[in-house]
Amino acid sequence: MKTIAILIIVLTGGLLIYGVEDMPDWGDPNSPANAYVSPEYIKDSLKKTATPNMVTAVLADYRGYDTMGETTVIFTAGIGCILMLRKKRKGEGA
Amino acid sequence: MLEYIVSKYNFWAYVILLLIGLYAMVGKKNLVKKLIGMNIFQSAVILFYVSIGVKKGGATVPIFLGDAHAAHGHAVIDAASYINPLPHVLMLTAIVVSIATTGVALAVLILIFRRYKTLELDEIMKIRKDTGV
Amino acid sequence: MATHFPALLIVIPLISALFVPVIGWWKKGLCYPLVVAVLVVPLISALGILNRVIESGPFSYYLGGWAPPWGIEYALDYLNAFVLVIITAISLIVSIYSKKSVEKELPEKVVPFYTLFLLLVTGLLGIVVTGDLFNVFVFLEIASLSCYALMAIGRDGAPFATYRYIMMGTVGASFYLLGVGYLYIVTGSLNMADVSKLLPPLYDSKVVLTAGIFMIVGIGLKMALYPLHAWAPNAYADAPSAVSGLVAPLMTKVAAYMMIRVMFTVFKPVFFIEIIPVATILTWLAAVAVILGSIYAIAQTDLKKMLSYSVVAQIGYIALGIGLANKSGLTGAVLHILNEAFTKGCVFLVAGAIVYKMGACNINEFKDLYRKMPFTMSAFLIGAFSMVGIPPTCGFFSKIYLIMGAIAADKWIFVAVLLFSSILNVIYFFRVIQIATFETPMPDYGRDKAYEAVYMDEVPLSMLIPIQIMAAGILLSGIFSSKIISTVIQFVIPVGF
Repeated sequence: MKTIAILIIVLTGGLLIYGVEDMPDWGDPNSPANAYVSPEYIKDSLKKTATPNMVTAVLADYRGYDTMGETTVIFTAGIGCILMLRKKRKGEGA
Repeated sequence: MLEYIVSKYNFWAYVILLLIGLYAMVGKKNLVKKLIGMNIFQSAVILFYVSIGVKKGGATVPIFLGDAHAAHGHAVIDAASYINPLPHVLMLTAIVVSIATTGVALAVLILIFRRYKTLELDEIMKIRKDTGV
Repeated sequence: MATHFPALLIVIPLISALFVPVIGWWKKGLCYPLVVAVLVVPLISALGILNRVIESGPFSYYLGGWAPPWGIEYALDYLNAFVLVIITAISLIVSIYSKKSVEKELPEKVVPFYTLFLLLVTGLLGIVVTGDLFNVFVFLEIASLSCYALMAIGRDGAPFATYRYIMMGTVGASFYLLGVGYLYIVTGSLNMADVSKLLPPLYDSKVVLTAGIFMIVGIGLKMALYPLHAWAPNAYADAPSAVSGLVAPLMTKVAAYMMIRVMFTVFKPVFFIEIIPVATILTWLAAVAVILGSIYAIAQTDLKKMLSYSVVAQIGYIALGIGLANKSGLTGAVLHILNEAFTKGCVFLVAGAIVYKMGACNINEFKDLYRKMPFTMSAFLIGAFSMVGIPPTCGFFSKIYLIMGAIAADKWIFVAVLLFSSILNVIYFFRVIQIATFETPMPDYGRDKAYEAVYMDEVPLSMLIPIQIMAAGILLSGIFSSKIISTVIQFVIPVGF
């Protein structure tokens, strides 16, 4: 088992280290991640959503659907635990 | 070479964390240790995303501090002085998903313990082979 | 109303999943009719969407009115609409089947079961309908979590099999998330159509290559592609019958849909064929999956475990079609998704019916089953024909297209693999049918012993009708397969194949 683990580590680590080379530098304000979609979030969120907190504006307004999915995930996990762990007590209906 | 490591050291940090988590998931024999490895693995991915959003050069948190009502519609907000809010949003969801998966996995571990009375992988495999399950 | 079908598709099962616990813990008997009634609405919406796509081409739906890439969009085209109809139809049929099966196997867990059933369907629909890379991850986790919880309450070995599934499934989803993050670093956007426009200048970047490989490996873990299939046989075999009837036809095929999306929509096909030879590696792994899955299936004595190994082999067919990356191969793969949905649904529901009647499904105890349950076993026979590839079932047509794709790519070894695997399928399926039809449990001493009449002892009607509908679906989709291909599947193939 340990040999499979070492092999997986070497393969994954090799691939990851290989991929680091072409990445933008850390903290570069002109990298594509920081320069394409998010300046519009920063500039227009106060005007369009009247929320000073930009993370909340994106979370609840632009990408509110993801937040709905996330609450559903919590609900699913809760019902899953009820499904798996609830024991029927003696002398009581289900 | 040194500059290559230093300029991207956030990526190196998360790579090492991810490999530690992956090794714990595959190489350890106790089922709870595998679960902790899964948590470390997911935390590494979360840290990686959050580290993308940083902007050097004096950028601050993405909250508009100031009079919101007066600025509503008037202020010009400079994009370079606030860090990127999008990775934070994505990772709020991912953290929640990670916790939910850990919860479900722990419930499954309780079911396993009720059935096999142990949480060590080799003992469980032995019981499974002996009883034919 | 009709313009909002894409949103209704997700919202109705989701909101109903919140109502089922409330109503169920008040009156347990109301769960089942509510679930069946709710699952009719996504079917109508999916048919409406397919109709609209066939008439006026692909369309998109902006959630909340925000234009992409700042908001989330639903991008509905031919492949989407096709898989949506499959998912909604299969989930409705299995939900009708599930009542008696759940009452027998899980009597005191009916209410949370149906809640998670609806959430699983919501998750699967959400993965297929969305056009945003991160949204896929969120709905993938909804589907996965409900799948884990539903599988863990099965028969004896289920919790351990589910734990292994959790470990491998979470690694798969996290690798996919990592790939999406890498794509976000170099392009700055999360929308599928947007990323596919921004990526071509960056194809020689090492980050894009790493992203592609991580996404493919992550999706492969979810898809049970060899060698990442280790979780699938035990997990599908030990799950409750209604759960394996829902998950086995759908979960891995939705992951195959995701692989088609990543390989051909987000990354242009040239990336995975020429720049990194993922398509070639995929075909070789798929060929190994087909042969090994069938060989392992022959060795099993438990019907559900045999069928689970068969799932691994059939995923090999779909991956082979995707990896061949030419017109016939991809047509065969997409048609095989349809075939697999109906065929695996049919045979897993038959296995559930056998468990309902006999308590277990050891193949060696199937003697005289054909006399006792004739309708069920004839549906199993149709499913077996489709698996082997006998006309006019759908399996024949999808295999023909896969073989034509292998010939067009000039890879005769895959033709040999496909034909050899048909022979292996014959071995393990017809062994079951032989024991059920031709062997009687009577010992053969003394012909003067009176022949004991075997009464027909079929499963209840609410389980029998869904099985027959699935079998009819196999035959109908085979007879109309050329029409299906010319109307829908033909437009799925990317330009240039």
